[in-house]
Amino acid sequence: MMDPVEIMLVTACHKGRLDPEIYDLIAFGRKLQELGGGAMGIWILGDGVDTAAQKLTEQVGLPVAVVQGEGLSHYLTETFCAVVAQEIKALQPVFVCTGHTSRGWEWAPAVAARTGAGCICGVDGLVEFQGRLCFQRDLYGGKIKGLYASSAETTVITVQPGIFKFEPPAEISPAAPVIRKDVSCPLGSSRFLGSKKAETDSTHITSAPIIVAVGNGLGDEGNMKLVHRLAKCLPRAEVAGTRILCDRGWLEYSRQVGVTGASVTPALYLACGISGASQHVVGMRGAKFVIAINTDPAAPIFNEADVCIVEDIIQFMPLMEDAFERLAKAIE
Amino acid sequence: MKILVCAKQVPELEGIAVHSDTEGMAVLENFGRFAMNRFDEFAVEQAVRIKESLEGVQVHAITVGPLQASQVLKRAVGVGCDEGIHLLTATDADPGSQAVAAWISEFAGSVEYDLVLCGAMSEDAMAGQVGPMAAALMDLPYATQVIGMDLASDLTQVTVEREIEGGAREMVNLSLPALLALQPGINRPRYPSLSNLLRANQKVFNTIATESLTSVRNPVDCLGLVLPKHSRAAQVITGSALEKASKVAAILKAKALI
Repeated sequence: MMDPVEIMLVTACHKGRLDPEIYDLIAFGRKLQELGGGAMGIWILGDGVDTAAQKLTEQVGLPVAVVQGEGLSHYLTETFCAVVAQEIKALQPVFVCTGHTSRGWEWAPAVAARTGAGCICGVDGLVEFQGRLCFQRDLYGGKIKGLYASSAETTVITVQPGIFKFEPPAEISPAAPVIRKDVSCPLGSSRFLGSKKAETDSTHITSAPIIVAVGNGLGDEGNMKLVHRLAKCLPRAEVAGTRILCDRGWLEYSRQVGVTGASVTPALYLACGISGASQHVVGMRGAKFVIAINTDPAAPIFNEADVCIVEDIIQFMPLMEDAFERLAKAIE
Repeated sequence: MKILVCAKQVPELEGIAVHSDTEGMAVLENFGRFAMNRFDEFAVEQAVRIKESLEGVQVHAITVGPLQASQVLKRAVGVGCDEGIHLLTATDADPGSQAVAAWISEFAGSVEYDLVLCGAMSEDAMAGQVGPMAAALMDLPYATQVIGMDLASDLTQVTVEREIEGGAREMVNLSLPALLALQPGINRPRYPSLSNLLRANQKVFNTIATESLTSVRNPVDCLGLVLPKHSRAAQVITGSALEKASKVAAILKAKALI
């Protein structure tokens, strides 16, 4: 039996591979503890979990509950919901935290609805405000952040990946146990049929030293030529963009930067007419230098930029093109 | 077959300005035009496509919000939905995901829907919670981030493709009735047709005051707003457009990027 836990971190492990978000979750959980959280434990759902669980507890010094059973050999929201709801009812944790990933974000709100818990999705900060513990998250496309407090007995939280940085503890308490929980997990009607890798190959943008990225500010498909022309003025530059342009068919999906596209790390990221919603920003945070151009001075992309320019890209891209060409000629 | 599609009215993000007040908290200003949440347009389009591809499909659009939210129902009927249901809130304050999900599921419980569709999230609240919460309350199988769907010919099941990180996908089979939260890009939403818009203007929507539905205590409150922090230098370049372009070129040259 695990000691009572107030902060329950929930992650998955399939075919021996632990979801990497667990380290962000631990870092988040530690911050929660500093602000008065309480005892913390890790729940790993999946199959072939034992070795990974043992390694994890030795590495981080936290108790780990291994939840395995029929129905957990693949991720299915139905089984995850059933198992986590059961654990919440039995243990009444104050916080249940998981990654704000396609999976975590799928099951977390349903578990909250089923158990009467509060739910805050996409948390990227923790602060004390008006004497209460508040969870910060994006609103209005990232233009602003809301501070949310929960008065529920249990609150389910999904944590944005890549924000809270894990640091291995200086000392590991040796007694952290691994507890095996074989759950009888009722099989629902949903069936997992398999998975497949991304159909598109994004190597051209993940290896590009310069990316000219474009967003909804482009307005019209006919303006795509301005983007291509601008990219031609820069050495080995590739064109990339936000999801919305790919959805409209203006840009191939292999050139999409963001959560469901590629993560890029160029020396220069020239963000043209991109608002800067977190789904996009996640994919360009690794860029070494970012120049952002947008008509809207409140566009969140400016919070992620080294250089900010308030201009309409339709007029400004040709001006940059001229300036770059002049410079290239002068260098010659 | 009966389909319920959920659509929210949201302010257009483009023109909204943000600034700090004297206490250091953030304030939003300039709410201009309102429109159907872009993510929901894909759900509405998908519902209409199913209706067009099969015999005997009825599509109902539902929204939760103040009086003006009925505009999204007009839009939904304008692109081909049959009926509109307006769960009317007394104020324009956000009732919270818990309440919205509870009201939608309470209404949906009174009609036997085979399929409930919604968007991945809303552009303003960005929570993505209403779909999964409503599914849980209705005890329906569900999937989010759906980028492809295939209804079995006997309409007892649906096979969906979910989009996961990095563009990978996973395939899941669900029994109907089910709820699906759709990803943008699953289709290309159409514009309303003139004939449908005329029909939408005549349409009387089924309006139900949320006060007449079960009251839901929202355990999560937004206590305040703050401006996002800069993660980088955020040096603002000033001058004429021409001067700015030259400055960009100079910066690139100094960094040996050109």
